[in-house]
Amino acid sequence: MDKKLVVPGETVSEERKRTGDNVIIRDGKIVSTALGLVFENDTTAGVIALEGVYIPKRGDIILGIIESEVFGGYIVDVNHSLKSFIPKKSMIKTLRKGNVISAKISEVNEVKEISVENVRVFYGGELIEAQPVKIPRMIGKNGSMLSVLKEGTGCSLMIGRNGWVWAKDGDINLLKKAIKKIEKEAHLNDLTNLIKKFLEKNKTKKVSK
Amino acid sequence: MKEKKIQYVKNGKRLDGRKVDELRPIKIEAGVLSRAQGSAYVEWGQNKALAAVFGPHEALPQHIQNPKKALVNFVYRMAAFSVPDRKNPRPGRRDIEISKVCSEALEKAILVEKFPNTMIDVFVQILDSNAGTRITGLAAASVALADAGIPMKDMVSGVAVGKAGGEILTDLTKDEEDAPDAVDMPIAILPNTEEIVLLQMDGLLTTDEWKKAKELGIQGCKKVYELQKEALLKKYKNSETKQKKQKPKTKTKSKAVKK
Repeated sequence: MDKKLVVPGETVSEERKRTGDNVIIRDGKIVSTALGLVFENDTTAGVIALEGVYIPKRGDIILGIIESEVFGGYIVDVNHSLKSFIPKKSMIKTLRKGNVISAKISEVNEVKEISVENVRVFYGGELIEAQPVKIPRMIGKNGSMLSVLKEGTGCSLMIGRNGWVWAKDGDINLLKKAIKKIEKEAHLNDLTNLIKKFLEKNKTKKVSK
Repeated sequence: MKEKKIQYVKNGKRLDGRKVDELRPIKIEAGVLSRAQGSAYVEWGQNKALAAVFGPHEALPQHIQNPKKALVNFVYRMAAFSVPDRKNPRPGRRDIEISKVCSEALEKAILVEKFPNTMIDVFVQILDSNAGTRITGLAAASVALADAGIPMKDMVSGVAVGKAGGEILTDLTKDEEDAPDAVDMPIAILPNTEEIVLLQMDGLLTTDEWKKAKELGIQGCKKVYELQKEALLKKYKNSETKQKKQKPKTKTKSKAVKK
């Protein structure tokens, strides 16, 4: 393994650099705040977290479930510690409890409440829970892992940055297994090829039966 | 009737054969509960503690919310079968006190300002006990928090130091804690900065004794920190070695095909 594993409080870099994700500065040193892999180049030092909760950022595309309808809008569960709100006047369609939506975060305020825009509704399919910190691995560089998953399982996929994956058609059980495998082995190198092989192997098994 | 005087340290060794600054055998495992967001199991001598972390979630009722930080809800409970006589499972004065001090200790390590209006639940269950359970619970909680991915500026490591038979000792057992002149002093620090986050003392120490106890405590905490770190990294290093082992296998296969 090329990258160093660190725990919270461990020094990532002693040089003066720009801070990446999951680090703080303590006594002039860059220190990790999460359990993860060190990411360091000439200008930046950070940590890629291996475990963690979803911390919303402006511009993130997320998935949500309509939890309830109130007078002025809808309360949405977005896998965050606080619920979100969609005003009815921003929607053309009427939503119902249990609808799956995707949206873009337009604003995160000082108490981490989020406002969303560009709401889309998804009908049918299934919502799969994954770890939010593993989502970048599920998408891969330029969407490489996402296309492997789509081709390997034949599913229509929508991956939300908040750790929820919506899937319809295709082999959803195989997709769930692949997601579990990505979560478990996210810190390994050459993961896209590993998943490609895993999907091919399991697909052929099904045909032979 | 005259009580027999016990010699707690004989030829540099204690009743159980340890040196004065030696810890009991410690075993830490991270990620033991699949339902919890983060979890850990710690065996510290006879002490056994299980910790589970949930959250952050919205703090309810709303009036307890703090718009500047997250609340840490540390729940310390001893199982009814964890002590020689049955313990009433109802949380007593001691459980509530330990929950409070440990919650304050963890609050110093967690970046609570990142999660306003929320609460982080830390449940610690003591399954077996023999002195030093609050520190065992705190060590388990700290590993469970890191396993859950809650942002922290450092881990929390602790040890109980004290006095028995006139000697300053690290990691006291129940027999040593029951000495007539016993002093029990649990101490927990943020190991990288040596900032003290928990310090309690039961009994009397002179200034010199206190200084020695503090020094031994910090040394002990650092040993515990190394074990906590090892436990967290072990979870990932196992799968890494698996991948390394798998690689040569494929090579030998391809060779066989060539032949």
